[in-house]
Amino acid sequence: MHVTVDVKGEDTYELELEAVAGAAADGEATGDPADATPTYADLLREVELSPHEVSVLVDGRPVPEDQPVESDHVTVLRLIKGG
Amino acid sequence: MDCNRCNEEAVMHAAYSGAHLCEDHFRESVEKRVRRRVRRDDLVPHDATPENPQTWVIGLSGGKDSVVLTRILHDTFAEDPRIELVGLTIHEGIEGYRDKSVEACVELCEDLEIRHELVSYEEEFGVRMDDVVEDDPENMAACAYCGVFRRDLLSKYAEELEADLLLTGHNLDDEAQTALMNVLEGDVEQMAKHFDASLGPLSEREEQDEFVPRAKPLRDVPEKEVALYAHVDDLPAHITECPHASEAYRGEIQQLLYDLEENHPGTRHSILSGYEELATIAAEKYAGDDGADLQECVECGSTTTRDVCRKCSLLEALV
Repeated sequence: MHVTVDVKGEDTYELELEAVAGAAADGEATGDPADATPTYADLLREVELSPHEVSVLVDGRPVPEDQPVESDHVTVLRLIKGG
Repeated sequence: MDCNRCNEEAVMHAAYSGAHLCEDHFRESVEKRVRRRVRRDDLVPHDATPENPQTWVIGLSGGKDSVVLTRILHDTFAEDPRIELVGLTIHEGIEGYRDKSVEACVELCEDLEIRHELVSYEEEFGVRMDDVVEDDPENMAACAYCGVFRRDLLSKYAEELEADLLLTGHNLDDEAQTALMNVLEGDVEQMAKHFDASLGPLSEREEQDEFVPRAKPLRDVPEKEVALYAHVDDLPAHITECPHASEAYRGEIQQLLYDLEENHPGTRHSILSGYEELATIAAEKYAGDDGADLQECVECGSTTTRDVCRKCSLLEALV
């Protein structure tokens, strides 16, 4: 699946979920690549963001980052520092 | 993915606890942590009564942290005649940035029917941060000047408003960063000061007649969750970063903590809880040292360890 990751106010990334799945499986000591379903956290890792510095929205609704990606369009809001 | 506590869809996952929570249970969880911190830090003294209410001044910048803090404290104490909340906003003179967040503060305080006070660097000191960064006589980062001026005005107005407590919206990430910075700098005396200034339970802090005590009730809540709370509660938090923000060392520590938290969930919590214990021990060791060399600034009369306080010497350099 083709996924658009829109980091608000910054860049938009076009990712192939299969490629993200491969990278996620490579990064883990165990697990069969065929079973690896990339999560929103895996997408964030691909665009070099930490889940602790952003919120991930799908259709305007926050999603838990450990969940498998089910949408082809993901919005990422970076946390605003300060007060 | 369902919420762990009901059948609603989860909106968040906290890796440090394993919890998946829906909007309502997430909000409840944040509020519970803030109220537990208020209790643990003994913020409501036993002698507070409706006839002798406590004034709590909240440093309200209009950003997500202070807006969420104000909202939760309001919801907790709106019906409690022992506590009166006041929002205190400081305008630093940053074009196009602070104007909008002041609007967020005004809107929030009107909604919640909380008294709101607005003060500015320009009226108080005759300077604006936009000009300070241009001038930069001390060759420092903008935050170094701004922090000195902000702390001075927060203290001054907390006193003028006869505050019993000055509350700020520092979250878990902020405090874990500060803790780690103090550890890495080897500054044990600073840990003791941190305990007496804002970390320790009020009943255990060394008496400091010169300053209004401070508290940080959001410090158990990760920054990401504060932002999520503001989002799901649709709070009028201002969402622009300060154009002058530049704290290089803190940024480095922040990145380090993101990486650690990713591989070892719960690191921020354990850093802060260990640090609080160390700070308690440090405060006992340094007890009595504080205040010995405090005096009044010859220029403005504020409490300082020098003849002329840091704020006055910076203002002197700027003019």
